[in-house]
Parts: sequence; C-alpha cells; structure tokens
Amino acid sequence: MLVYPQLGTGAMSQFPVKKQRHLRTVVNAAADGSWIKLADAPGEYTEWSLQYAQLSDAELATLQQFFTAAEGTLNAFTFLDPISNLLAWTDHLDNAVWVPGPLLTVAGGIADPLGGTNAWHLSNTGGGAQNISQTISAPAGYLYCLSAYVRSAQASTATMLLGAQRASQAVTTGWTRIVFAASGDPTRASISFGLELPAGGALDVYGVQAEPQAAASVYKASTTGGVYENARLRDDLLTITSTDVNRHSCKVNVYYAKHL
Amino acid sequence: MATFPNLKTNAVAQYPATKVLRFQNQALRFLDGTEQRYRDAAGPLHRWQISLSQLDEGETAALDAFFAANQGAFGSFAFTDPWDGTVYANCSLASDELDVTSVAEMSGTTSLTVMENRG
Repeated sequence: MLVYPQLGTGAMSQFPVKKQRHLRTVVNAAADGSWIKLADAPGEYTEWSLQYAQLSDAELATLQQFFTAAEGTLNAFTFLDPISNLLAWTDHLDNAVWVPGPLLTVAGGIADPLGGTNAWHLSNTGGGAQNISQTISAPAGYLYCLSAYVRSAQASTATMLLGAQRASQAVTTGWTRIVFAASGDPTRASISFGLELPAGGALDVYGVQAEPQAAASVYKASTTGGVYENARLRDDLLTITSTDVNRHSCKVNVYYAKHL
Repeated sequence: MATFPNLKTNAVAQYPATKVLRFQNQALRFLDGTEQRYRDAAGPLHRWQISLSQLDEGETAALDAFFAANQGAFGSFAFTDPWDGTVYANCSLASDELDVTSVAEMSGTTSLTVMENRG
C-alpha cells in the first residue's frame, strides 16, 4: 500500500500541525433541557492539516510523487500520525497487542516517573534473553524513534528492538529515558518495536513510545496507536509556492474515516 | 463514571476561562401588556468554555484520548468546577469536534466546552 512520505529530516510534518477529530452524536433535546443521545461510532473521521515550509527540491519532489501516486483523493494510503504514539496500549503491557517472550513475566501497578501507577515490572526468569514487542503495519524502511522510561534494582542493560536493529542501553536505579532511532528493512510493510532483557534480568518500564521521526517527544499514552490505514487526501489539488531557489512551501490535508 | 482530565499542573482550565449559568424560563405576554413567567426547568445548568494553550504533547494526547473514549458529545462524565471546586457528576462535551493544534514542540492548543446535563 501507498504510504505518506517522510521529509528528508525523517519528520512526517512541520509545525504547526492541526488535528481535528469529528464524532457524530444524534441528539434529541427535550423541552426541560434534558437530552437523549445516540452515539454514531461509524461516523467518526479525523483530519490533519500539514503545513510545509522551506522544503528542498528533493522533499517537494517526494511529496509531488506521492500526490501523483495517490491521484489526489482517489487512492488510499497509510498515514502515520505525526503527533501520536504509533504504539497501542502503551500503559497496558498485558494487552494482546504486546507479545511477551514465554519466560517473561509482566506485572502492572508500579509507580511511574510522572506520579501515576502506570509503570510495569518485567522479569526474565529464563536462561536466555526474552523480549516484549509490538508490531505495527507501517513501512519498516522509515526512520523511527523508540523511547521508554526504565529503571532496575541494580544497574544493568536492556536492548531496544526496532525492526532488525538493536541497541543496548544502560539501565540505572533511577528512572531514565532510553532512546533509539533507526530505520528498518525497507522491503517490509510492518515493523516491530520492543525491549529485550538478558537472562535473569528485571526492570521497571514506563512510557514505551514509537514515533516516525529522529528524536523522542514527550510521552503520549496511547490505546489506539497512530497508524491509519486507508487514509486519503482531502483535496484533489496540491498548491505549491516556491519562495526561493530550493525553497518551497505547500499545505496537505489528510482525511481518515472509519467507515471508508 | 469518567472524569474530565486534569493538566499536569492539576489545573482543569487556563485563563481566560468562561463560565455560563443558564436558567430556562418562559414568559407569556398578554394583550394588556402584562406577563406571566414560569420556570420551564428544575434549575440552572452550567457551561464551561475551556481554552487551553502551551500544552505539552502528553496533555494534548490525554485530552484527545478522553474525547475519543467519551465518544464526543455522547458520553457523560464528572467535572469539577474550576471556580469553586464543586463536582458536577453529570456533564457532557458540547461538541462532536475536537481541534488540536501543535504550534511548536510542547506548545499545543485546543478548546472544549463542557455542559452540565439535566438529571
């Protein structure tokens, strides 16, 4: 499937980004001011307004190629929400979207660095490395940033998994945020993100986040994730303004409706 | 019952915040110019207009998640009046639309209107 392109920096968009979520509720208003309401869940749609400035010739060409391939509003594509956590159920590592190794125990209710109790304790009781991971339907060749807050009773290490890429990170006794940015295999249409513990290892983890960019932003707890398959362009026209040599600006509106 | 999310500072709203108190009365005007007025509802209803700026990405994500979980204007939740701390147990969002704008890093803006429901 067609995928909305990243810029040369690895970012999906520039500031400002506007996201509009539209739901539909049927309301019957009574004379006394009370209401009878019916939620129309399939009526939900979301729009992003992405404004680009200072684009290079190469970046503009990429956007134009994408616009041509999508044929305006005609063809659907996969869109990675630039202001969301791509992973789902990030405060619920016991959810089915997470796949833990068979000898990895996952326990919740641990105090997190933001004052809540949404951290998780991972413990590897096996004789080999064990991991917990989540796979999303996003192009593996894009640049992603995986981040998480971790701590352990004794200083140790954890390995961050991003597709086939791996990065060993030090884990201290206090909460620290570990970050790993890399691209995966460009031929694959899905990518896994995870955390691997060595044999006998144990740590607390909070705020696992994957973003389609080069660096981590503030942690965003997520239940739905940020991958939108079957998104579409809202407009059939792409207006480009060239402000200087190798400097261009344009605006793109992306539309995603559940019922499409 | 769901609860409207607080910001990281534990505040619910920022300045300028608007609060509306609304009665629902009816007036019958007679030919001689006199009027008879009566209450058409049991009591006042409150409405709060909450404009938020300088939000970090975690705060905007929490508001977006609350909006989605609440199904826009459909669901009801408890809301604490930021003026006096009174908890109104049955409130809804006034709109099925939520606009979140990320102006820059850690600088999101959005606005919501919360209204008290009858009953």
